Amino acid sequence: MARTPSTDPPADLLAPVQGEVSWFCCGTAWGPCSSTGRGACGTCNSGSLQHAWPNTSDACWAITRPDACGVSLSRRTCGYQHRTTSLCGGGTVVTAIADCGPQTDLFCGERSCCGSTCAGNRLIDLTPAAYSRIASLSTGLRPCEISTV
Amino acid sequence: MASRRDLLKSALLGAGAGVVAATALGSLGPEAAFAAEPRLGVDPGAADPDFAEGRIRSVKDDTLLVLGSNLVFHTIRVVGGTSLWKLGPVGLDQARPGDGLYARGVRMPDGMLAAESVWLNIVNVKGHVKNITREKVHLDHKGQDIVCHVVAGTSVAIHAGGPASGDLSVLRVGQHVQVLGAWRPDTNEVDIATVFSPH
Repeated sequence: MARTPSTDPPADLLAPVQGEVSWFCCGTAWGPCSSTGRGACGTCNSGSLQHAWPNTSDACWAITRPDACGVSLSRRTCGYQHRTTSLCGGGTVVTAIADCGPQTDLFCGERSCCGSTCAGNRLIDLTPAAYSRIASLSTGLRPCEISTV
Repeated sequence: MASRRDLLKSALLGAGAGVVAATALGSLGPEAAFAAEPRLGVDPGAADPDFAEGRIRSVKDDTLLVLGSNLVFHTIRVVGGTSLWKLGPVGLDQARPGDGLYARGVRMPDGMLAAESVWLNIVNVKGHVKNITREKVHLDHKGQDIVCHVVAGTSVAIHAGGPASGDLSVLRVGQHVQVLGAWRPDTNEVDIATVFSPH
């Protein structure tokens, strides 16, 4: 798939940015999640209102590489708060950074839609507690808008 | 108009109230339901009191006793309007001791969680496809081998945001995918609900 150069300045610095949101587990857990650990910040828990962000450090950025998908995102560190709003139902949740992710470059160009409302590229992962505030966990992936608080 | 939280609470007050609550809850669309009035005053980063996770220790009548992974017990009450998921919508009879779960609802003053939604054994893992057969997808999830079973008539794939398709043959070895499914307790196996693949 063709990749486009990153935008400059970071897309989320000027206005809310649209992308895809999924969910991930962390902390003490059952099943395949049991080996996940507490995330890059050491505080991550599935039951807390937290999220993973692709640019928490140089090391994080080197893994997630949203710029490979043409998206530049601001450096935000542990505890920084974002608001995620579902483009499907309008539900919104404010969460704090607790981990590095998602691995945006592995899903470059992917889009998810609700009817005619779509957004592309994975920009944020929420914990189950946070994601379930704006959508059913069984949806797995949703278009969203991300803004600062 | 009564709030969704009020309806859940009222569902616990008596049979008559429960019927009213179930009807009203059911009238909300699935996405609208999740957009409806989350509890205010929970600090970002903090534990959500209206959420629970853990494994079922016992099922008695309409109540699940759950031991959280952090070793905190949760009592979760299933009411008429509660939606349960286990690879798809199911009834309470499908909840078994040993199942993992996530639950969202309203925390009552006595600590019980009146459940709005319960997801049984749900997992959402990302990884590389190591091998594919007609019946299974072998996934490398952070170095952990997960065997994902194709369930005829249930498992679907969504490619690049397109429509869901029962045809999983387009998946390729080496591809990075997201598998949403139901864990088979105490194994490294998952029944596939949806495979998301970007290309």
